[in-house]
Amino acid sequence: MVNDTGQLYTMEGVAAGLIMLLTAYIVISTTSIYTTGDTHIPDMQLEQLGSDVLAMMDTPDKERGENQLVGFIKNDQGDDLRDRFLDNCKMRAGDADADLRAQVYLSYRTSDSVNTIPLSPADESFTRRENTVRVTRWVQLPSGSYSHIPNIETSRPHAVLVEVLLWRA
Amino acid sequence: MARMNEEGQWIVLMGLLVAVALFFLALIVNQSALVGQTTAEGVLEFPKNDIRDLRGAILGYVDAYEKYGSDKSKAIHDDIVEISLERKNAVVNFTVGERRDVSGRELRPVEIHYNNGVTEYDETMYY
Repeated sequence: MVNDTGQLYTMEGVAAGLIMLLTAYIVISTTSIYTTGDTHIPDMQLEQLGSDVLAMMDTPDKERGENQLVGFIKNDQGDDLRDRFLDNCKMRAGDADADLRAQVYLSYRTSDSVNTIPLSPADESFTRRENTVRVTRWVQLPSGSYSHIPNIETSRPHAVLVEVLLWRA
Repeated sequence: MARMNEEGQWIVLMGLLVAVALFFLALIVNQSALVGQTTAEGVLEFPKNDIRDLRGAILGYVDAYEKYGSDKSKAIHDDIVEISLERKNAVVNFTVGERRDVSGRELRPVEIHYNNGVTEYDETMYY
């Protein structure tokens, strides 16, 4: 006959072992939090940043003055628009955000369709697989002739949409 | 059982309590990652900036309406409606009414309707 005096100790040992295993598993597996791209937290922050910068650039410096965004679009300065946009995005404390890239588009309505043209030349490092966000801003474009915007009606003011594709390389 | 050494039971009990507490703390940490994700998705999905921006554009349209009259400013109205549909996937409409007395000031009622399939937004403001 086997001696059975230590049975409770055995059960306790088994229970303690299970609890320790479970605790160790949960603690180790949860303290490493996965923040992959599909959690959208960086996207959300980037979109907010881009929207704020566009809103700032769409604000005139003084009462009845012209705002930067309209000036850049009127004078076909898509490059400057993009560079200024990125400079404004990087205006922050801490390390320079050197990986930020942007591409500016303009959407406008012609007599028969809605056209979208790139305002800044394509970024050579853009592979179309980046995790981009798109921020937009309505801009009031006064009447006038704009040779860099094809088929736009010159006789009337326009509401046009500035679209910025924003991503981190 | 009676002959077992029963000293140290408090230590065992406290050990159990600590284990249970750790279990719940770990559960909470586990949830926090998901909470961040749903919050970010909620912020991304809700077109806060789009609606604010649209209101700004419509106020610009009302200014043009005052300046050029309803016929000539119709083109700006159509700009906003058609570009919204084409580029923002949003059905937008807005109307500007005649001036009326609002608390002693003559203001125009501006009705805005916005629907991007997820968020529906309707507003009447006086401008």
